[in-house]
Amino acid sequence: MSSPSRVSPAPDPVPVPAPPTVIERLGAVVGPAQVIHEPVDLRTYECDALTSFRAAPSVVVLPGSTEEVAQVVRIAAEAGMPVVPRGAGTGLSGGALPVPGCVLLGLSRMKKILEVDLDDGWIRVQPGVINLDVSKEISAAGYYYAPDPSSQSVCTIGGNVAENSGGAHCLKYGFTVNHVLGCRLVTADGSVIDLGGPALDTPGYDLLGVVVGSEGTLGIVTEVVLRILRKPEATRTFFATFPSTTEAGNCVSEIISTGIVPAAIEMMDRLAIQAAVAATGLDWPDVGAALLMDVDGCSAEAEHTSKVAVEIARRTGALEIRVPRSEDERQLMWKGRKSAFAAMGRLSPNYIVQDGVIPRNDIARVLAEIARLSQERGLRVANVFHAGDGNLHPLVLYDAKVPGQEHAAEELAGEILRICIRYGGSITGEHGVGADKAPYMGEMFSEDDLDTMAKVRCAFDPGTTFNPGKVFPTPRLCGDRPGVYRPHPTEVAGLADRG
Amino acid sequence: MSAPLQGLESAREVRPRSLDEATAAMAETAREGSKVLFVGGGTELGLGPAPSGIDVLFRTDGLDRVVEHSALDQIVVVEAGVTLGALQRLLGAKGQMLALDPPWPDRATVGGLVATNAFGPRRTRYGSVRDLIIGVSIVRADGTAARGGGKVVKNVAGFDLPKLMVGSLGTLGLIATVTFRLHPRPEAEETLRLPDLDAETVRRLVLAMRQAQLEPNAAAALVRDGGADLGVRFDGRFEVGVRFEGFGAGVQQQAQRLLEVATRQGWTAERLPAARATDFWARHDQVREAAVGFRAKLSAQPAEVERVANAALGSLFPVLDQPRAVHYPTLGLGFVTGEPRPGAPLAAALAAAREALVGGSVVLHSAPTELRNTPGVWGPPAAGLPLMNSVKLRLDPGRRLAPGRFVGGI
Repeated sequence: MSSPSRVSPAPDPVPVPAPPTVIERLGAVVGPAQVIHEPVDLRTYECDALTSFRAAPSVVVLPGSTEEVAQVVRIAAEAGMPVVPRGAGTGLSGGALPVPGCVLLGLSRMKKILEVDLDDGWIRVQPGVINLDVSKEISAAGYYYAPDPSSQSVCTIGGNVAENSGGAHCLKYGFTVNHVLGCRLVTADGSVIDLGGPALDTPGYDLLGVVVGSEGTLGIVTEVVLRILRKPEATRTFFATFPSTTEAGNCVSEIISTGIVPAAIEMMDRLAIQAAVAATGLDWPDVGAALLMDVDGCSAEAEHTSKVAVEIARRTGALEIRVPRSEDERQLMWKGRKSAFAAMGRLSPNYIVQDGVIPRNDIARVLAEIARLSQERGLRVANVFHAGDGNLHPLVLYDAKVPGQEHAAEELAGEILRICIRYGGSITGEHGVGADKAPYMGEMFSEDDLDTMAKVRCAFDPGTTFNPGKVFPTPRLCGDRPGVYRPHPTEVAGLADRG
Repeated sequence: MSAPLQGLESAREVRPRSLDEATAAMAETAREGSKVLFVGGGTELGLGPAPSGIDVLFRTDGLDRVVEHSALDQIVVVEAGVTLGALQRLLGAKGQMLALDPPWPDRATVGGLVATNAFGPRRTRYGSVRDLIIGVSIVRADGTAARGGGKVVKNVAGFDLPKLMVGSLGTLGLIATVTFRLHPRPEAEETLRLPDLDAETVRRLVLAMRQAQLEPNAAAALVRDGGADLGVRFDGRFEVGVRFEGFGAGVQQQAQRLLEVATRQGWTAERLPAARATDFWARHDQVREAAVGFRAKLSAQPAEVERVANAALGSLFPVLDQPRAVHYPTLGLGFVTGEPRPGAPLAAALAAAREALVGGSVVLHSAPTELRNTPGVWGPPAAGLPLMNSVKLRLDPGRRLAPGRFVGGI
């Protein structure tokens, strides 16, 4: 976001050619067809969904198994080439942005669902499996996978694990990290280890909890064990309109303070509503704000909580309340919400999707600050967000053809992050830091905080081989490994190995 | 439970009253190169090999401030030495709770709960410490204060240091403050009791509840009669309590539906009036808090109730006097407690239990001295041990914090 590359479009990046011996060795491991190194073919991989950041990898490798990934990592390490993992390339923070000279490790071919255990409530999948395909696999049996990022029909589980992805329904059900029971990890030295597993509380540090959300900087995840849930008996949805985001924000606060934990509660402002209408043809009115809320659980609980929530909406100034009459109508309402990002293209030639978090109780104050900034800078900002957990997604609209406007939009988007930090929130709730927000990490965390995180990274990857340039604001070297690894007696005896 | 501080008599005590004092005290231990053991409420000192060679006993109970409770945002920032009981009373006055119900709430401190990954039956619904912790501040072995996470529930900026601290047993740094997400206190709750089920039926009960889309907040299976009279034999039968909580209408509906499910299956079940529900959960607390010489935590996959019962409990019960056990069948976790029988082959029974629960684990929270070693306490070394060692060395290169107490001799 603060990178100059978006402000003044860089010329097409030129790849640093990979040494022919590396190409040959990689081909021997994964098959020559799965090694991409012609400059024209590499262009597909220059960026993820944050298209303003571009860099060319030296080579793209598409392995088909854990063992192949491990061998690729070893070859890259020997050649001194960084390794950048990539799932579906839907990330919005430049997490899969190549670094010049890197091996880009595409995991899209590893898309098998390996094992389903309904009795114990888990499913084991490869990282290239699409998020929504997990739920599809188990839907007929009455189960689902809870994390539901808006891109769930295209994004992969591996990418979700890297980013600790959220979604509208994580307010009640938690994020990716709360649903990952175990993973298989290829480490920097090409070892393969299993962290966690279907049985809870594996003795040892919660390395799994650290790997999830580490944005591909600690290792390559090649298998994931996910928790799956029984579908709730009942879901009740309502859509309510308000004169402004202030009344809508008050409604959210009141609902939560009565003890209701909605499955999801989403807010859209006027611009976002207009965009959703333009994209879907929904007959939503032109109003200042709207809420879309799900409650779920057993039928009596869902009935009770939706009734209470509707009463609160009326009391806090709702103009109109709609309850879907059918599942189709409900799905259409959610489609309106989920398409709000992409629909911005109908209102503006260009836009920046921002992702920040504030304490829920400060929503009205923060929106007022954003509105003031928007007026000052003469740029429209649409707001679509997960109101229940204070996760804002302001969309800064601009026209790249107007000189200076892109730069101004960049600045405004950055100012919004600073507001989030000032209110005690976070610079990212679900999109990740990636390359985009790395410069802001130093504003949210102290040097000592970052140093501590860097120590953890060095523990996993002392050569900072995996996804360099992401998360941390400045490049860091690990230095010598402190102390000396002392193998456990059982390892010496051959009862265990270093994995 | 509270293992005496054996071998620590010669250690110097440090008891900071503020975070600044704690940071200074940590820096002092770094200058001295002294070995440090953090102690909160002292409820889990029996976990891990007995500490030895400790120079400084670092007591955290002076760090007893609730730094911030934002009821509207449903978060609390609290210093490590605050007891869970004190915290819950404060939150309860605002209609909220920290959804953790581990043993000894009036002694267990927040820092200790995080360090030991303590949990209770509510985990069924709300998850464990790792699902509720959203921020942490620590003081590293070198005296540097650092933090990770934040004050908002949704946050993916930077590595998840809070989760790294969970269950780390004071080997990575001083946990100074913790930030948790909170939940509303439920309007109503109700417990059903199924007094006599065998292990296979307990497993079927869990599946039947899920099939019926019931969402209990707790399910606990107590070994019937505690085996007290049998002494040497486990009869394989459980008394099960299932609790629902939430708004009144939902609790009523779910309780009634579970009763119907049980009746259809021919299982005896009853909806307990409040006083008897309290009694059931008090008996549950007695099992998990028993002041005895042996206490182990068992982990298996949820559907493996029969293996837990027949193989694991079946091995351990005969070598314990007054053996008792609680198993949480929706989680696959449980505890077995008792007094080791003089001369009985406890180590062999433990090995048999571990063999039965391959893929799971048996961890000793309290055990005779001869078993409190590595790998005796933790079982076979974890797959990620080299990485764990590496993390330890980056954060505590001198191996000064609780040396030898953790997995793999960390």
